[in-house]
Amino acid sequence: MQIKQSALAGTLESSDVQIMLSPAKQGIQFDLVSDVAKQFGDQIKATVLAVLAAYDIDQVTVKVVDKGALDPVIKARAITACQRALAIADQPQWEVL
Amino acid sequence: MEQVRDLFLTTPAVRRQWQTFLDDHGIHDFSEQETAGLDATLGLYDGQGQLVGTGSVAGQTIKYLAVNEDPDAPAGARFNQLVSALESHLAAAGIFHLFVVTKIQYQQSFEHVGFQTLAKTDQGLILEKGRPDINDYRQSLPKAPATTKRRAAIVMNANPFTKGHRYLIERALSQADFLYVFVVSEDVSLFTSEERLALVKAGTADLDGLAVVPGGPYMVSYLSFPAYFIADQEQAVTFQTALDISLFKDQIAQPLGINLRVVGSEPHSRTTAIYNQQMKKYLPPTVQVLEIPRLTLADGQSVVSATTVRQKIASGDLAALVDYLPSCTQAFIHQHLQTLQARLKKGSKTDAN
Repeated sequence: MQIKQSALAGTLESSDVQIMLSPAKQGIQFDLVSDVAKQFGDQIKATVLAVLAAYDIDQVTVKVVDKGALDPVIKARAITACQRALAIADQPQWEVL
Repeated sequence: MEQVRDLFLTTPAVRRQWQTFLDDHGIHDFSEQETAGLDATLGLYDGQGQLVGTGSVAGQTIKYLAVNEDPDAPAGARFNQLVSALESHLAAAGIFHLFVVTKIQYQQSFEHVGFQTLAKTDQGLILEKGRPDINDYRQSLPKAPATTKRRAAIVMNANPFTKGHRYLIERALSQADFLYVFVVSEDVSLFTSEERLALVKAGTADLDGLAVVPGGPYMVSYLSFPAYFIADQEQAVTFQTALDISLFKDQIAQPLGINLRVVGSEPHSRTTAIYNQQMKKYLPPTVQVLEIPRLTLADGQSVVSATTVRQKIASGDLAALVDYLPSCTQAFIHQHLQTLQARLKKGSKTDAN
């Protein structure tokens, strides 16, 4: 599924993560900026991709700027970004949580 | 607790505080033309209610950013807080693609929060974040056939498209296997960007081996080269032209294999003359610069210039335009004369590029 609009969630403050989703025509393109990309890059990517999969989003450009966020924070920000990108921010998808 | 708040610069006390803060951080240009364009300004206050950071947005560009870092907090904490507040502000307005023109010392801070450097000179740099970005722009351009070796580029505003532009394009084609004609996208001219692009396309439809494309935010735009649109000090012009040229060289010419930039000589405009001069300084050897003397009328004296054309539109002297314009532009002006004159009255100046 494609997303309806670009969306941003999260901040650039310490222990947070900023996730930006933009429409794309083909596949998922993933870009990560993080001081700990070497250690946790794969895990951050897996967490975000899992949330995208839960929303059936498979055509999107993902830009993640991580400031040392823990997994649940990454998941929460990813969920918010997806809800906004699909323009369903007012209808939470509980089963994803 | 530190807090980000809106700053309303129309309030004199707020404005004074903001200006003093920026002054202390080496930002001194508070001219009307700069500050009037700001859509929003945010201030960061510390626990004691002191202003410790500020940043503004104008369109999709972050401006007037300055921060007092907290010595007890991790480095960059306030900077990040402010930039992310500005980004959220833009996102709420539906803007997900942003730029910043800033000093070299901030390059790392911005790259650290996901910005990418587009162009850099000794005095400053341009960074970008979000989509569609420069890669998307490059991919949107038609590809030059792989066999073409000599690839040329012209950047023109074409306000409107004259026989002079046509002459420049023909001369460029005689020197190159393939030609990119970038039409300035910024919409501040008498003719809108769509009109200008359409007229260049119509006026070159019979020619082969060229692609007429919009320049996007990357070529001679408000972002990279504001002085093209507003009168500015010579020093600013020199800095901006250097940025614009370095952006062209690194992000456009090199990836697309362009090795020749063709320009018309500039007898009248000081800004464009500096621009041409700077190009010869920065582009070679990667990109050759070819300056072609302007096309003149039959008398061999007066150059064909779009400025003259706009003056004649203002005075309604259409008969005189036959010598200046190809038929497509003539037809367009005849059809839309009233609209154009109304725009001129409303304030688009004939002398602005």
